[in-house]
Amino acid sequence: MYRERLELKDRVAIVTGAGRGLGRQMALALARAGASIVAAARSEDQIEGTAREVEALGRHALAVRTDVRDSAAVDRLIESCLQEFGRLDIMLSNAGIGDAITQGKELWDVSDDEWHDALQVNLSGTFYCARAAARHMVQQGRGVIINVGSGTALRGYSANFAYAAAKAGVIALTKSLAIMLVRHNVRVNCIIPGFVVQSPPADQQAADFIRERGSYVPVQRLGEAWELGPLAIFLASDASSYITGQGFIIDGGGLAGGYAPVGFAPEVRMAG
Amino acid sequence: MWENVKLGPEAFDLSGKRALVVGAASSVGRAIALALSEAGADVTVTTATPKASEVLAVKRLARQIAVTGLRREPQILDASLGAAVQVMVRQVVKDMGGLDILVTAPDLFLGKAAEKTSDVEWSRIISVNLSSVFHACRAAGREMIRRGWGRIINVASAMGERGLANSAAYCAAKGGVMNLTRALAQEWGAHGVTVNCIAFGWLEDSPGLGEPDPQANRLIRFIPMRRPGNADEVAPLALWLASEAAGYVSGQTFFVDGGLTCHL
Repeated sequence: MYRERLELKDRVAIVTGAGRGLGRQMALALARAGASIVAAARSEDQIEGTAREVEALGRHALAVRTDVRDSAAVDRLIESCLQEFGRLDIMLSNAGIGDAITQGKELWDVSDDEWHDALQVNLSGTFYCARAAARHMVQQGRGVIINVGSGTALRGYSANFAYAAAKAGVIALTKSLAIMLVRHNVRVNCIIPGFVVQSPPADQQAADFIRERGSYVPVQRLGEAWELGPLAIFLASDASSYITGQGFIIDGGGLAGGYAPVGFAPEVRMAG
Repeated sequence: MWENVKLGPEAFDLSGKRALVVGAASSVGRAIALALSEAGADVTVTTATPKASEVLAVKRLARQIAVTGLRREPQILDASLGAAVQVMVRQVVKDMGGLDILVTAPDLFLGKAAEKTSDVEWSRIISVNLSSVFHACRAAGREMIRRGWGRIINVASAMGERGLANSAAYCAAKGGVMNLTRALAQEWGAHGVTVNCIAFGWLEDSPGLGEPDPQANRLIRFIPMRRPGNADEVAPLALWLASEAAGYVSGQTFFVDGGLTCHL
């Protein structure tokens, strides 16, 4: 009974940012659950690669080169999906850029363009995808939109504040869209990853870095992109039928803590 | 762990895992126990209190689980007594050969004005809904820490996050469960034990829900999905949280509430 509810057979999913990292892992997970996949990203080589992996799992795949900053391109992405598969059930907006832009810069050195670009790719892109997908899902009378936020949105993130602000926007957008679309039987939720490694470390130095960073997380390791796959299946499927407007924080316990450094555990006798 | 990971629906398979559901007479406890069993786990169920209706319910549930799963003796106890829980958990660990998953789902509601709530009522609501969760986590945690792996799932209510009139004791207890979850996640994270919380909204059998017809019931119209949920819609979340794939999830509360906690 529960197992069947996790099935995505005959469902069609668009995954943006599907060429690598989280997006690729979530696309493959949805495919394993039975969904056909439209892999979208800017880099053609990478989405072709994901599409081939989806086909190797025995599912249908389509790669559509898309820059989510361009709303017309996003509209064309939805059209390509409908043309190929005739339906759209799952919109997984994963595309985003976490590094560069305002990384490490002083506040007064960030230009208008850099600020707008961070909002454009991380927040506007998510809005364009949701808007275009919803037009069709509302007609279809059902659908699921899954956005990807970031743990950085829930606390201050000095290293990349524009990214944090944009991702906070994604979380707020998720809640509003959930309320706006609930009467059309479209659910909207958000996956909020903390520190998650995008792909296996290339060398020992990278592995050491990951291990060191893991010590700052309550579960004593960083997450790995594949760990988001089963959650994507859950949120995309009927197994989450009563869940909408929620943010699913996957961060190894970090946001539940933060009152003291990880590992700090006072031992104090009860007074009196 | 990048190779040979269970990435698809097989990630929700719990074959070989041993689970204990404390407070399995509640509708969500029951649904989760059945879901864990269906996913392949070996499941033992317990009462939260020795009330006759609970005893009957867990006995019936254990029989239902035994139809497709292993037959495990349902445990009758008052979980608000820490020593009783410790003895029970030790027995269950012995019977099942270990313990991988703990679900706590005691649920006792009192709808009464705060100024009229007696000491006895307050204590009862706190001990059944909160203290018994601590007792179960403590006893199961000892075993899980020893083995370096565990999944604890506490079932609370969205009333632990939001206040409701005539529900002060229940709100306090459920909020306590959420923050207990966060604290244990910090303490046991390094031992391979994750601790999370599921908070449900209005369910079909929620006390005080009233008329099922949204036209006649402004509470149901208030829920964005315009319907109460049912326990079967809560259970699959527990499967994910109990799985190997949820090892990077800890200290969180997940709401299954039809959109309740996201609107103004």
